[in-house]
Amino acid sequence: MTNKKIKYQPIQPEVLELAAEHGNSPEAVLEVLKDIQAEHGGLSRQSITDTARALGIPAHQAYGMATFYSMLSLEEHREVLRVCDGPVCWLKRASVDAWKKKMPADDFTVERTSCLGLCDRAPAVLVNDEQAGPVLPRNAAKVCEGWRGVETDYAKPRKGELRVMTELIGKIDPDSIDDALSHGVYGGLKSALQKSPEEVIAIVEASGLQGRGGAGFPVGRKWKFVAAEKRTPRYIVCNADESEPLIFKDRVLIETNPHQLLEGLLIAGYACGASEAWIYIRGEYEAQARRLENAIKQAEEKNLLGENILGSGFSFKIHVHRGAGAYICGEETALIESLEGKRGEPRLRPPFPPAYGFRGQPTAVNNVESFCAVPHILKNGADWWKSLTGYAVGGTKLYMVLGHVKNPGLFEAPFGLTLRDVIKMGGGMAEGAKFQFALCGGAAGTIVDKSLMDVPLDYASSQKGISLGAGAFLICDQTVSPVAFLRELLHFFAAESCGKCTPCRVGTWRSLEILNRLAAGQGHAGDVEELKALSAVMLDSSFCGLGQSVPIPMNSAMAHFGKKFAEAETR
Amino acid sequence: MVNITINGQKIEAQNGQTILDVARSHGLDIPTLCYHKDLSPTGNCRMCVVEVKGGRFLSAACVTSVWEGMEIETHSEKVVKDRKLTLELMLANHPQDCITCDVSGECELQDLAYEYQASAPSWGSKGTLYPVDSDPNPFIRVDMNRCILCRRCVLACGEIQVRDVWGVAKRGFEEVIVAGAGTSMLEARCESCGQCVAYCPTGALSNKMNYGMARAHQVKKVTTTCSYCGVGCQFDLLVKNNKVIGVQSNPDAPVNGMALCVKGRYGYDYIHHPDRLVKPRVRRYLLEGKNKSDIREAIFDNRKSNNESSNIGSPWDWVETDWDTALNITARKLDGTRNTFGADSIGVLTSAKCLNEENYLMNKLARQVLGTNNIDHCARL
Repeated sequence: MTNKKIKYQPIQPEVLELAAEHGNSPEAVLEVLKDIQAEHGGLSRQSITDTARALGIPAHQAYGMATFYSMLSLEEHREVLRVCDGPVCWLKRASVDAWKKKMPADDFTVERTSCLGLCDRAPAVLVNDEQAGPVLPRNAAKVCEGWRGVETDYAKPRKGELRVMTELIGKIDPDSIDDALSHGVYGGLKSALQKSPEEVIAIVEASGLQGRGGAGFPVGRKWKFVAAEKRTPRYIVCNADESEPLIFKDRVLIETNPHQLLEGLLIAGYACGASEAWIYIRGEYEAQARRLENAIKQAEEKNLLGENILGSGFSFKIHVHRGAGAYICGEETALIESLEGKRGEPRLRPPFPPAYGFRGQPTAVNNVESFCAVPHILKNGADWWKSLTGYAVGGTKLYMVLGHVKNPGLFEAPFGLTLRDVIKMGGGMAEGAKFQFALCGGAAGTIVDKSLMDVPLDYASSQKGISLGAGAFLICDQTVSPVAFLRELLHFFAAESCGKCTPCRVGTWRSLEILNRLAAGQGHAGDVEELKALSAVMLDSSFCGLGQSVPIPMNSAMAHFGKKFAEAETR
Repeated sequence: MVNITINGQKIEAQNGQTILDVARSHGLDIPTLCYHKDLSPTGNCRMCVVEVKGGRFLSAACVTSVWEGMEIETHSEKVVKDRKLTLELMLANHPQDCITCDVSGECELQDLAYEYQASAPSWGSKGTLYPVDSDPNPFIRVDMNRCILCRRCVLACGEIQVRDVWGVAKRGFEEVIVAGAGTSMLEARCESCGQCVAYCPTGALSNKMNYGMARAHQVKKVTTTCSYCGVGCQFDLLVKNNKVIGVQSNPDAPVNGMALCVKGRYGYDYIHHPDRLVKPRVRRYLLEGKNKSDIREAIFDNRKSNNESSNIGSPWDWVETDWDTALNITARKLDGTRNTFGADSIGVLTSAKCLNEENYLMNKLARQVLGTNNIDHCARL
């Protein structure tokens, strides 16, 4: 029996103040927790409980969030260096331990983090909220002094590139709306406002624009669903939680031309009859979030946002919401949960967000790149968009080519490229490198050998065994072991599984355990068989897209490199 | 109405029904763990997956609504294989201690493991990660090693008791159920109703008071009505060797279902308590026919010493007697008081533990027999 009496303690005034600053809204729990952490270097149980009480939510909800998001911490530390251990940085020999040895231990906590979205600057780290790369542990002293590596410059197009969304890179100052306006940004909005919302949707639908998050769902059709819902308010949500290894296109788009995204959101809002939009940007993109906030402020000053935009009668607001480190929040329903101040766990589907989304209202969730394509379609027409390619799928796409190519990075090109073309755009294989395999689409994409080099890539090509996904391609040469590489991917998925359903929660962890020993040359007989069984149960039975797509790289790697896996097992 | 087929059997179902609802109402078995009819379905354990023709993935029967022409296989080879592997993944993360576990024999995980012949995989359980009996709650025993993260406790606490004590913390393989901000249950506003225990499918949450006293097959269940208040909750008393050793929710209870309060679920230890009064007692001086004014000194002594043992034989002492004697004395005293001081000098307080009928009779006694309107009820206090 316990005789411990639970004493009532008033909420700390500091927490009350912070809660009030955020409107005492239960949706603001992440912001309040982040503010407390920024002040104290960590979150105590008391401050978590107080936050929950101040916002009128259960304590477990705040604690569940504090322990869910990787950027929140219960331990106090002054400064944090987060070392990316995504597959691209892994290829560049990134090492948390090496950083731990080099950084001043008194000031810095050094920890691993899943992919930072700085794959074109690998090996990358995050110094508190500042992105840095490429940086090596031997640069530690310089990093402490404020050196952040070298930013990638995309001002000059590659040979063969066709720039639409990236056209203004280097031509405008991304922090200046006047610059953007003088280059025709917001022209698509003006064109849209002269049409009826139905006409706008019809144009987007006619263009055949498919969602750029990776699944390729037609954007126009999604908007139609939202617009057809009778209930208001309706919302637009921009998925900028770009957390999948290999993928950094949204970062570049926001970094180089934030107004293009705002314009896309405005057009979506007008078309769907929505009143507000949220940009859910991953917490690791602090610089980009600030750039967006600045752009929103400027657009408001020019009456491109706010009440009665350009005298059209259409009013619209855009908010920036920062995540706090969780890949799963890229899943649209998990993103909405997170936006509502909960753990980023996927919801049951159906109902889908167009019918039941943010706050239970009709919501269109689209990727940054999808929104960025929209203004150009409105400005130049659906036929123009389709005419950009000589291929069944119209328009351009951002591609990211990484790994053992001469000139890794991002480029824009029309649909219809093959893997061979992508490598060519990357300058061909690097000196001395011979193509062995490529990871196509993203971390949840397909691992292919040279047999699929000439399949034109689109959202349907995954049926042929090679996926386009978000458009990222990691090219690996003969030095990379497919077994060790798959282990790196599982390392990512195991770290990022939300834990809601059994197959993904235990399946990713167990697969990683097997791959760890296979890659270390300590495989057991039956390991590959077990991997296949785990892959099957994750594919069939997982709750959401995360668990369902982990088997894609697993199966394709084992199919193309069965011999290497068998060797690893019997060695 | 929608027409569907389950395992080749044509069935007419209602619009909006889930596959699980339809199957169960037609006596078709689909296993579940995280699902409970009283709680919102979450679809996270993935035990109830079934094959729907044309679907890319298996569908969780508890959260998938039926549609016209749906063709469902509840026990195809693929489904059974997946369920078995999912169970193995749960067992891999669950101690193999059924042999000493309190809920062995009524554990849903154990039953399913038996049905699907799933044993812990060769790579075995991850072993103890959490301290056993980790919470100081006086009634609820917590052993998170046995938890399979079905989250029924979270829903039971949030939706039925609306206390929101339990929640989910961390993520992925490290995920764990916690009380409040990782505190003790009582600190997280727990009122020890034990709903979480009643809904836990495994031995992760069990009862502290009777832990280790008996398993399901060793007790007799006696359905009874709670004697604490007038709500009329029903539950099963667990009886072993003619002694009540516990209380268990009876899902068929008409008033309360599985829900009980801390008194109903854990306040049963008075039944066999040595201090329990089983016969009426009166003060000795009343038995001896004396008046209170005659024994002033004895009362004074008693208050001064405040020590019962030294007062044995004192006229102020409590003495066991039979009901007739006790009632006669009571009647005599009431009658005398009324005659001397008037009926309104008497007040009657009845109990929430009485039945409506008993309270009605007390009302009659007060107003018609004693002649006073001074009657009230403890539940108003």
